[in-house]
Amino acid sequence: MALPPFLVSLGAAAFAAPASQLAHCEPMRLNDLGHLLQVMGTFLGLSLFSLGGGNTLLSEYHKISVDQFCWLTSTQFADLYALAEAAPGPSSMLVGLLGMGAGWPEGPGWALLSAYGAELAILLPSTLLMVVACLRWNRLRDSPWRIAFERGLGPITLGILFAVGLKILHTADTNTPGLIVSLLVCVLMLRTRISPLWFMAVAGVLGGLGVINR
Amino acid sequence: MRLASCRLIPISFMTDPAPGPLPSPPSASGVSASTPSNPPTLRQLFVGMLQVALSAFGGGLSAWSQRIVVEERRWMNNEEFLTGLTVARLFPGPNQINMAVYVGTFFHGLRGALVALAGMLLLPFTLLMLLGLAYFSFHTLPAIDRVLAGVVAAAAGMALSMGFKILGQYRRDPVALLLAAATLVAMEGFHVRLVPLVLVAGPLAMAWYWPRAGASRLPKP
Repeated sequence: MALPPFLVSLGAAAFAAPASQLAHCEPMRLNDLGHLLQVMGTFLGLSLFSLGGGNTLLSEYHKISVDQFCWLTSTQFADLYALAEAAPGPSSMLVGLLGMGAGWPEGPGWALLSAYGAELAILLPSTLLMVVACLRWNRLRDSPWRIAFERGLGPITLGILFAVGLKILHTADTNTPGLIVSLLVCVLMLRTRISPLWFMAVAGVLGGLGVINR
Repeated sequence: MRLASCRLIPISFMTDPAPGPLPSPPSASGVSASTPSNPPTLRQLFVGMLQVALSAFGGGLSAWSQRIVVEERRWMNNEEFLTGLTVARLFPGPNQINMAVYVGTFFHGLRGALVALAGMLLLPFTLLMLLGLAYFSFHTLPAIDRVLAGVVAAAAGMALSMGFKILGQYRRDPVALLLAAATLVAMEGFHVRLVPLVLVAGPLAMAWYWPRAGASRLPKP
């Protein structure tokens, strides 16, 4: 499938990526439908493993988009994670941004196509399972499978979330003031009900002033 | 008991998610009597979820969804809503998105789920796409990169807090803490990927926590 030529040329003319923006290794180009389907298949397979509200997948997203397919640098991944956290709406929309990064070198048309494709792929299986679960909840509720699943997967989710937190901290890779801000934000998130948007705004100013850098 | 609960499952759902209220999930306890007489149409469902998403632009999505679905529009009662939260947290997928799926499914089956999901995601996802396009166009500018370095530090702190947030509920369960620690070591120390990890550790943990009659070695959740 070819995109309308005007979209392609628009992308080439107005949004051509400078060399410094390219990923650190040879990226898998999303310039044909087969590659796009392969990427969507990857996200489809992950969907049902998004325990504990979806954040358990963050390490896996990093492995896919930075190490495996080389769409993004680690820094870009951290940026996109922060962007998805700051933007309104469910933060799991990060997958859309990763898809966008994958298609970006081919121009904004492909970027949007792969963004929507990736988001659709990550949401579809869990949504279908959720529909079945809602319709069958009466039978599921008292099932030993449900109880064992809830109790058993809880501690595993806990372990994964700690690993994910360390992974993101490592990916952020800021200087010592940045690390102190990270730890401070972590404590404030647990001890106060201040909206995290404030933390991001203040930290953004600190970054702009050059106190935090990477 | 088993027969009674089977009867409540809509038989038609596999072939035709017919419009009209499904038996409410907690109906075994007699709540279904309060199901509203005017369930939302697909269009109302879409607009309602759009309103939830819009209201929650400053955060607190699940609180807004409760206020709009239960208090303002009276589509379901509080108990039905809380059941939804339980299901949404239990099953894979982002909690807030699962919640929209629950509300949609409650009234219109699969079609309702997709409509509610579209209503919930339309505006935030469009906005995020615009943000993303702006990011990829301008992130190499030094000023943008410096601000982002700060924002990333804060976001990393938020990510770090996720584990601590649910740590408390496992404090009295040494097996759970051991499982969590083993999971952490497997991922951090041995770089085990998520899918094989869950496929191996999940069934083991489920076997350990399988409910046994009479034996209550577990603390109440």
